[in-house]
Amino acid sequence: MKKLLLSAAFAVLTLASCSNESSAVNTVESMKTPQMENFDKAFKSLGDPQNRPTEEEKKRNTSELSDRRKALLVPASKELILSTGITEAELMRKTGGDISQIIVWATQIYMKKSEGIRKNIKAEN
Amino acid sequence: MKKILTTVFIAAVSLINAQNLKLIVNNYSTTFDFHGTLSAHNFGGGCYPYVTTNSPAMVVVPADSNMSNGNELVYANFKDQYLNSLYPNASWVVQLSATTQTVRAWNHASIAPGGVISANTKWSSSQFQMYYAGTSTPEPSFSGLIGEPQDPCTGASSNISTLYGDVEWFNITTGNVDYSYLQIY
Repeated sequence: MKKLLLSAAFAVLTLASCSNESSAVNTVESMKTPQMENFDKAFKSLGDPQNRPTEEEKKRNTSELSDRRKALLVPASKELILSTGITEAELMRKTGGDISQIIVWATQIYMKKSEGIRKNIKAEN
Repeated sequence: MKKILTTVFIAAVSLINAQNLKLIVNNYSTTFDFHGTLSAHNFGGGCYPYVTTNSPAMVVVPADSNMSNGNELVYANFKDQYLNSLYPNASWVVQLSATTQTVRAWNHASIAPGGVISANTKWSSSQFQMYYAGTSTPEPSFSGLIGEPQDPCTGASSNISTLYGDVEWFNITTGNVDYSYLQIY
């Protein structure tokens, strides 16, 4: 009897964990790599009070993100590029260390990965 | 001969203008839904073509819809946005001059990528109104015209700060790549 109860409890736990698993897996958020998450955080951090545009930056005649604020995106961008197997040397050779090129390259990788995740979720459902 | 030269010239100009553009909207506000038009226009002299969302005219990006949860708005061009974006816009208002205005479906050949209209426009601005999340109640003080600054075609500001939240428009460009970001905090 005790054995039966135990195995019933075990079965219930297993089932519950399985159903939790699928609900957790089926969101874009949960399928992102840590590097993608850090890239997200970097963009969000542009809204932090200390990272908002200064009065001087607001007065510029261009909407190009200032170098000061671009620099906030660079570490996560580099990390994302390197996570695809590209070496630091290749990264420097291809971008010449230009921060705009690094961010744009990372954005392209990010978008491709996001698209892949969305397609996977669609295929699963 | 003149005709051929003209054709070559137009082709060359189109190639130069064949940019890799994207518009990305990140709504980080957890209190307000974003309701706004999204426009692109010619920056190479004059304001036309001038292209604006039409159905819906005001695209809704709900509160807390951004890259962090994969719910950001990404428009690559007038056509592919309908197929790939989470916020498809079925038709566009296309102005070729101040007096001519046509509504074009997302898949109309004239606004396809690589075409003259697509090649000669760049994301420019949004006339927006923020609404309390999930309601039809606007916050009158949280609205405006955000976009490229110093743009005589729109008169938009690239930064709008209110008691309820802030909106900014910025670009990250390099070579022929130009990503425009509209972020709401």
